[in-house]
Amino acid sequence: MRHSITVLGALTLLAASTSLASAEDVIKLGASVQLTGPQANTGRYYRDAYQLMVDKINEGGGVKVGDTSYKLELNVLDNQSDVNLSVRQYVQLISADKVNFLLGPFASNFALNDSSIAEKYQVPMVQGGGASTEIYTRNYKYIFGTLPPADDYYFSTIEMLQKLDPVPKTVALVAADDSFDVSVAKGTREHLKKAGMEVVVDQSFRDGAGEFASILSQIKSAGVDAILWSGHETDALNFIRQMKSLNVDPKSFYSFTVGVPTSDFRKALGSDANYAFGMTSWLPDESLKDKWYGDAAQFAKAYNDKFGYQPDYHAASGAADVETFVYAIEKAGSLDPKAVRDAIAQSDFDSLYAHIKYGDNGQIVLPQIVVQIQDGKLVPVYTDKILNQPQYPVPAWGKRG
Amino acid sequence: MLLAQILTNGVLLGGLYGLMALGMALVWGVLNIVNLAHGAMIMLGGYAVYFLFTGAGIDPFLALPIAIVGMFAFGYLLQRFVLNLIVRSAMLNTLLITFGLNVVITYLAQLAFSADFRTINPSYAGSNVVVGGITVPLVNLAAFVIALVLAGAVWLLLNKLALGRAIRATAQNLVAARLYGVDPRQLYAVTFGIGAALAGAAGGLYGTIAHLTPYIGASLTAKSFVIAIIGGLANPFGVILGGIFVGVAESLTALYAGPTYSDVISFGLLVVVLIVRPARSLRAA
Amino acid sequence: MKSLPYVIALVVVVLLVFVPWVASDVMMQFAIDALLLAVLAQAWNILGGFTGYVSFGNSVFYGLGTYGTAIAMAQYQLPFWVGLVLGVILAVVCALLIGFPILRLRGPYFAIATLGLSAAMGAIVSNMPIAGSNIGLVLPLVRADTMFYELSLGLLVVCTLTVAWISRSRFGMGLVAIREDEDAAGTMGVNTTTFKITALVLSAFFTALAGGIHAYWISFIDPASAFDPTLNVRMVIMAVFGGPGTVFGPLVGSFILSTIYEYLASSISTAAALLFGLVIVLAVIFMPRGLANMVGGVRAHGPRFFLQNIRENRL
Repeated sequence: MRHSITVLGALTLLAASTSLASAEDVIKLGASVQLTGPQANTGRYYRDAYQLMVDKINEGGGVKVGDTSYKLELNVLDNQSDVNLSVRQYVQLISADKVNFLLGPFASNFALNDSSIAEKYQVPMVQGGGASTEIYTRNYKYIFGTLPPADDYYFSTIEMLQKLDPVPKTVALVAADDSFDVSVAKGTREHLKKAGMEVVVDQSFRDGAGEFASILSQIKSAGVDAILWSGHETDALNFIRQMKSLNVDPKSFYSFTVGVPTSDFRKALGSDANYAFGMTSWLPDESLKDKWYGDAAQFAKAYNDKFGYQPDYHAASGAADVETFVYAIEKAGSLDPKAVRDAIAQSDFDSLYAHIKYGDNGQIVLPQIVVQIQDGKLVPVYTDKILNQPQYPVPAWGKRG
Repeated sequence: MLLAQILTNGVLLGGLYGLMALGMALVWGVLNIVNLAHGAMIMLGGYAVYFLFTGAGIDPFLALPIAIVGMFAFGYLLQRFVLNLIVRSAMLNTLLITFGLNVVITYLAQLAFSADFRTINPSYAGSNVVVGGITVPLVNLAAFVIALVLAGAVWLLLNKLALGRAIRATAQNLVAARLYGVDPRQLYAVTFGIGAALAGAAGGLYGTIAHLTPYIGASLTAKSFVIAIIGGLANPFGVILGGIFVGVAESLTALYAGPTYSDVISFGLLVVVLIVRPARSLRAA
Repeated sequence: MKSLPYVIALVVVVLLVFVPWVASDVMMQFAIDALLLAVLAQAWNILGGFTGYVSFGNSVFYGLGTYGTAIAMAQYQLPFWVGLVLGVILAVVCALLIGFPILRLRGPYFAIATLGLSAAMGAIVSNMPIAGSNIGLVLPLVRADTMFYELSLGLLVVCTLTVAWISRSRFGMGLVAIREDEDAAGTMGVNTTTFKITALVLSAFFTALAGGIHAYWISFIDPASAFDPTLNVRMVIMAVFGGPGTVFGPLVGSFILSTIYEYLASSISTAAALLFGLVIVLAVIFMPRGLANMVGGVRAHGPRFFLQNIRENRL
């Protein structure tokens, strides 16, 4: 009796494996993303965007390679916000799960580690989660990214400030000490110098410390015109709360690299979020045309309908990563990693995220859109011209309604 | 003026730090359990106040007593039915089991509350008063006062009430504790419950000043750990003082050396304090 | 009969040497990780298991080994072995320097001082430009998993042989005497300071080597991963789970826990952390003296062993 069960089991296994073998018209995409742990809050954007995009592409007939059309299959593992685990999972994805191509994790330090695996196995990885320049200065051939370089995050903001009245002269630059934010601070210092603005307070803080009373007190006593801040979302949140409770009022302006575009951020701060400036590489705008979704606004709607929250640039960037593969595979006409890699390098298409074209180092170049929260709403303010009138200068905490 | 402002920031924040460490010091001093899940319990207290505020519309400071009672019950049950099973084994085991509990609580918290960050944000959250040119945030001030009041309550409990004498006797000698006619199993559970209640209070206050996620526990545990040692486990006011000491030291480091050095200072201080004063007994309550 | 475990171990090691020729890439990845973790648990065991000094500062040595290797290779383009040596020198010097003051502390004091040290060290390194500040360092990429595997295996064998020697030597008896009653050991003529510092230095030596190998293998390091406090907690858990103060306990403990963790992380993915936490809680309740003790206990008492443990340790 026992025997017959084992035999039966073996037969079903055999049947299953043969049916798998016949279903060869599948292209597997793999990713290891933060689904639990401290970074799960942002990690979910990537999983959801990948899934939504893959489903849509399959609905639309999949990917054409020569005469056969392939379906996409997505394999997302949870790295629990643990870098070492994510590295192991990428190896697993490549060598055991036999995925054809890799999508990225969230955050620069993860991308730094995980891209080494892509390079080691020579499997292309397109990632939309890490913006740090270190990822692209190692001469790796198999890593591409859809977040613009961290150095230039404040470029458009500074350009805008010079066109406003009064033009700020003294600036406080506050940045976390992790890879991404150090890149931002370095680039911003140069841009400020060119613009002739003086950095009077230049402080870095421990990433995730959440404690700004000392920095804020220094900013207050220096009496700066503007604050440019770079770090992660929860720290941005704490910074604003402590600004208010310590009555820190820069004369005209304060801005954050992250947080401002997300609905979570506005919800957590309520009316205290008003007037804050920020930036995003993407807004769900109808002018961004897309092959599968028509335009970015429809993507945002589909995303919100399915997952119950608004996508932000993380999600759009993740969706563009999937599209990059589809365009590249169809162009290469094969699933060969080398051929697809070369096709990705020559990507040149419009997507719901942006016009996708990678630089020689593998990173995309995009302007940041300056945004501001006005009466609880996110308003795009500036790209290379004023889009909507900014509320400027920002009123002091004590003088708000 | 800048210095005065920064000292004020440090003292106010330090009071809250002290309250965070108070429950840990009590449980450690009396039960000899170094509770690595302490930060996770602070986190739970924060969420309790958050949901009472956003869900039921109860003012955070009125929600605080409710959270305290709830966390007391949680701590009581945890000690009564889980930790009591192992309290007599090696101290290392209490470290391990509370580490495991920390993982479990954190995971369940993410499941229940999601990884979104939250803030307890009543209309008066950012208000402040200016005294002699120094800005004093009202919520921080209230947190400071509450920390002192709760430390006073713990002191009264330990020194003036029969229950407190029994608790202190337990810290010295399990057998002696039986002379008070209290079941030590109950006594342990009550003590741990008080520790959890204090963590809950700290969490509620923390949420009105900073932000909550299911993952804030680990760093808060480390902070409480440092302060409990610097402040000593014996006297509740000593713990608050330890918190203020660390708060001020961190603020001054941030001013003079830059905020990235604050961990060097607070953990460096810890090591120095330990080496300079190694003889103090840990278990004297 | 007493040599039986050693015979089995020898056979296992010989078999393990040939793993790279049959294992898949994922297996290799897991194996290198598991071997290095086992080295860490075993190195922790030298001090923590034998003397009872619970160190949360081994991640200092791990971090220094990691950074020694990374600084030599990434900043000065020196070969790998020079980096390893540099890392070991840094770690051993550090162990000697901090050993004198902190090994005077007893019990929880020691544990906490070491915890503070590792946090402070991580913060110091994250402020050092030569160590890449808080951004980290990128090492040259190599495709040589077989080399990393054999290196890790060799390191584990040497480390375990050292522990086996300690367990039979006068030195080891001295360490155990310190664990049982330090003052008595002192009066009986054990030079407790020298013994403890020697144990700490040995522990630092192996830990730093593991860190150096890991750095080159993973090819990118930053302070958060090099001075990760949870890695230290894992060393302690693995050693204690297996049986501290024994030769094979930490090995078996770390392999079992690594396997469970890996299995959970790759098969059910999201609930892995939860189950891992539960395993630890249940292990402490049902086998508070580790696996090594449980094996003997169950043989002698059957399932009643677990109930006995609870009866002994509960209030």
